[in-house]
Amino acid sequence: MLPFERGSSLRAGELSSLMVLLSVWVLLSFSGIFPSPWDVAEYLLNIESESMFSNAMITLFNSFSGFSTALISSLTLGVLSHRFRILRGFSDGICSIFNSTSALIWSLIMVSTLGVLSPLSPILVVTAVTLPQLLSAITAALDSVDERLLEVVRSLGGSPSDEYFDVIIPSSLPALISSSRIAIGLGLRISVVAEAFGSRGGIGYMIMRSYNLANATGVLAWSLLMIALVMAMDHLLRSIEERSMRWLR
Amino acid sequence: MAEIVLEAINIRKSFNETVLNGINLRLESNEILGIVGPNACGKTTLLRILAGLERADDGEVRRRGKVGLVFQEDRLLPWMTLMENVCLGLKYSGARGDAAVERVLRYSDRFGLSLSDLESHPLRVSGGTRRKAAIVRALALEPEVILMDEPFTGLDFQTTSVIRSTLSELLRELNSSTIIVSHQLEELLAIADRCLIMTPRPSKIAEEVVLRGLDLEDRLERVKGILLRMIGDPSKTPVRIGEPSRI
Repeated sequence: MLPFERGSSLRAGELSSLMVLLSVWVLLSFSGIFPSPWDVAEYLLNIESESMFSNAMITLFNSFSGFSTALISSLTLGVLSHRFRILRGFSDGICSIFNSTSALIWSLIMVSTLGVLSPLSPILVVTAVTLPQLLSAITAALDSVDERLLEVVRSLGGSPSDEYFDVIIPSSLPALISSSRIAIGLGLRISVVAEAFGSRGGIGYMIMRSYNLANATGVLAWSLLMIALVMAMDHLLRSIEERSMRWLR
Repeated sequence: MAEIVLEAINIRKSFNETVLNGINLRLESNEILGIVGPNACGKTTLLRILAGLERADDGEVRRRGKVGLVFQEDRLLPWMTLMENVCLGLKYSGARGDAAVERVLRYSDRFGLSLSDLESHPLRVSGGTRRKAAIVRALALEPEVILMDEPFTGLDFQTTSVIRSTLSELLRELNSSTIIVSHQLEELLAIADRCLIMTPRPSKIAEEVVLRGLDLEDRLERVKGILLRMIGDPSKTPVRIGEPSRI
């Protein structure tokens, strides 16, 4: 199959799944369980663009700040535990404890300790949920660095920092970028949950507000906006990922 | 008397069993020294010890000047272009500017590497091109001693021939002293001045053959004779004696 054929069949597949979901939605709306797609579309069109933009930006800010904190922490811990084996147990422990704690528990802990209106809660929840994903990906990538390539650097007179910059970081980059893409998507979804529990804005907050007002159309409209945001971000990050790994193909 | 640029004294190395059992060798300036021996006799281990990548259990290695190493595999960094790979050693040694680039381009050109090859990533070029780049990477440093592990293995006849003739010319021009380990006897003996023959494990240097002044047939006959005496039935040895290069 030629590459463009593969691309077009993928797009056709995506389109068909969207059509199926839309048909199910239309059928459900006839039964009165769900608001109809056109009601939701009308609601979306009536949301003030300023409100839509500012809430989307709050959600993006929360997830990116949480992700960045997790990335910096896991990079530091990953590199340190790679360099000093004694820290490996500590790093593995952090991974398994954080992995075993659900986003709901983190949200409740943050809201009860920082308060309902704290802007830090959603950020820290995203950090706590994405950290184990990133840390295990970074640890695995650092462990699988090809020792033979490190020997090349040494044989050419390179220093330990050259080993890091010319071999360890570039060889870990594909895994780091892939896990970052997954973590950012996860962060966006988690941020909505955290905003629903305690925040002063964001898509999650708007979904919860619509829910509290028994406005099912609003819940669906803001949810659709969230799905579109996650998909757009995934698409953007996937293209960055592909570009950064061109040498592999 | 020629200057000694590399000397190994009573090198011993064991992993689960003894691999090197008291290796002594001397490399003179401007000399190409070939090392042959049966598979798994420790030739690569010896080269790694000489390069300083492996520590010997016992014995001493004395080096004078910079050592460049060409590994058995290409070992190019796949995320860098061939040009970036070839310039790595120069970058580490602090050589910058037009002179360094000009040197790399000159050696690349001698091996037939085009500008488009140099701009490509290793996974996008042929095995022969990668091997040439790996050799240029070591030569670009203009080291006093060059160590090469199986530089002709896995290449087609044409590439082997280009690498052999270019290497032979360049090593003489650079006045580098070189040790080449190879299973491809014909290619090795065509350019070497002297050849050391290693025994099977636990390895020692069995014999030394001075090749200067001999034509290729005589070189092959001498080394082949020693190997046959040492190893016995040639069908049982992986060393290809006098066999033409793979096409």
